[in-house]
Amino acid sequence: MDLDFSPVIESWRFLLGGLELTLALAALTVVCSLLVGGAVGLGRCYGPVWLRVPLVFYIDSMRSVPVLVVLVWSYFALPIVTGVTLPPFWAALVALSLQISAFVAEIVRAGVNSVRPGQTRAALALGMSQAQAIREVVLPQAIVRMLPAFGSIISITIKDTAIAAVIAVPEYMNRSQTLAGQSFRPIEVFLVAMVVYFIILFPTTRIVDMVYVRLAHLGRS
Amino acid sequence: MNFDWSVVWTHAGELLQGTEITVFLAVVTMMIAIPGGIVLALLRLSGSRILSGASASFTELFRNLPLILVIYAAYYIMPLTLNIALSPIATGLVALSLNVSAYNGETFRAGIASIRKGQGDAALALGMSRWQAMREVVLPQAVRRVLPVLASTWVSLFKDTSLVSVIAVGELAYTAMRIRSQTFRVLEMLTAMAAIYWALGYPQAKLVDWLNRKYGINE
Amino acid sequence: MTGVMLEYDNVQKRFGEFVALAGVSMEVRTGQVVCLIGPSGSGKSTLLRCTNGLEMLDGGEIRLEGQPLPRDPRGMRAVRQRMGMVFQNFELFPHRTALANVMSGPVTVLRLSRTAAEQRARALLEKVDLSDKAMSYPANLSGGQQQRVAIARALAMEPNIMLFDEPTSALDPETIGEVLNVMKRLAEEGMTMIVVTHEMNFARRVADHVVVFERGAIMEQGSPVQIFDAPLMERTRDFLSHLGWEG
Repeated sequence: MDLDFSPVIESWRFLLGGLELTLALAALTVVCSLLVGGAVGLGRCYGPVWLRVPLVFYIDSMRSVPVLVVLVWSYFALPIVTGVTLPPFWAALVALSLQISAFVAEIVRAGVNSVRPGQTRAALALGMSQAQAIREVVLPQAIVRMLPAFGSIISITIKDTAIAAVIAVPEYMNRSQTLAGQSFRPIEVFLVAMVVYFIILFPTTRIVDMVYVRLAHLGRS
Repeated sequence: MNFDWSVVWTHAGELLQGTEITVFLAVVTMMIAIPGGIVLALLRLSGSRILSGASASFTELFRNLPLILVIYAAYYIMPLTLNIALSPIATGLVALSLNVSAYNGETFRAGIASIRKGQGDAALALGMSRWQAMREVVLPQAVRRVLPVLASTWVSLFKDTSLVSVIAVGELAYTAMRIRSQTFRVLEMLTAMAAIYWALGYPQAKLVDWLNRKYGINE
Repeated sequence: MTGVMLEYDNVQKRFGEFVALAGVSMEVRTGQVVCLIGPSGSGKSTLLRCTNGLEMLDGGEIRLEGQPLPRDPRGMRAVRQRMGMVFQNFELFPHRTALANVMSGPVTVLRLSRTAAEQRARALLEKVDLSDKAMSYPANLSGGQQQRVAIARALAMEPNIMLFDEPTSALDPETIGEVLNVMKRLAEEGMTMIVVTHEMNFARRVADHVVVFERGAIMEQGSPVQIFDAPLMERTRDFLSHLGWEG
């Protein structure tokens, strides 16, 4: 087995462009998902019944359907239904955000539920309103407890962007495939791809864990 | 804008076959990945630094790579390094098994570590060897404890089988998208694909919730 | 016949910077009941765990019937079969019934047949007054009942010596008595016992020898009468009165 990495090295700019897109897509997805997922999660915990039921349905549905299916449907089927054709990047953003938001919502629910009920009672006993109790006492603790999961949100999102390759989003995975086809050196291309993704993903969880260790005492009650 | 949903019924047989392959992939992968995970966990917890390091490296590697990349890499790298041409479905199984074993390895490691040290001590105090203590006392309790997490991993695995469609394995996603290409019925087939996954996945997700309630954080 | 069963010769044990045992020397004779008392962290439990090899010594030697304790796993396992240990939080195996718990040692370690092991187990459960709880799981037993099953489980190995690590510290006051009674009966039958305990009344009445620990060393040792009624050291007096011992 002789390895020749020259095609990969020659096309480094091409691959770098793909990597930039991977990170951009992941970053946007995480931001959107935190906003949407946070709202959905809080709505699920504290909202009225008529709101909770559809939210739970949404969350459970996203848990049941593969990312690939949501991606493909958003890109190919959505235009037929709505008449609006989204470019691949935005279709991927929509699809990934839908999926990851559900995940965030579940983490928010777990975080809120893990704060001891006595804390809320104590806050109310001081005269706070329900909203104040949530904002001042429960959420700060819940957010600290959710930090480790936060790392896995970022990690999972980056991994899922690679699936967007199948709907022609020119992110890193897609570009690797293109290069593999053109250069007839798939082994070298994919070996490099594995190194690249590992270098990005491995520190992410570690860094979040380190931050969590520093802040964990704020969430303990 | 005219829809022809009869396409779905016409090709119901093929879709059913695709579903069978999906289930087959998930079941066989789990059958490999559960013992695989236990072995990885035991190696990680063994006294040997070499074995422990090897296990940790394996786990960290596969938990930090996108599955779709592992599938492609397996597809291209395995034939040349192993000198055998594996079928796409076997390649898919290899990629899935490596991936899920790594996750299970971490799951079992955490499960075993969560069993109170005193249990192991009590077993040793009776004169059991470390292996006997693990087999008789620690592992049975750890397996019970990780059941909800394993169920969650199963649900993820079930969804991840869709990714082997990229190397032309005839599971549900590949089959549905193939029929779409053949019949040009995009919305109908993609919606049917989503609906079938939903119908299969929703009860599984609910089962995981039930398991979490029943066997969740106790003690 | 009271030969020396266990000899501790300048036993030392460190956990990182912390010195748990700073050169402990004492004897346990066959048939004796030795109670180890002293403040928390004074090394009593550590000494017990060094005795059956759950911790390894950093210095000194422990001799069982004249032979130093082996350091290899197989040798250690053989020694552990001759010693029974009872833990502060019982450590019954939750996935097995009381009967199966008591059978654990004979079946797995001694390789007795299930019938023989069951016979032995039932007899022991009878001995600790828990025959009717044979098929119960630990989750359905009170603390005192669990500890009695734990004692039966240790006895099932037919040990020469029983090690008790604060056996009643995790129990409700009402159930302490039932466990202490079992231990008292065991002592009367001539079992060699080393008991780490805060139960001063038990030590006063049942022990043949009392050893007072502080900060990893023996402060004072002697007969119960001597230690409880006329302690030599000021620290011992302080410690006892701190525990509410009226003397």
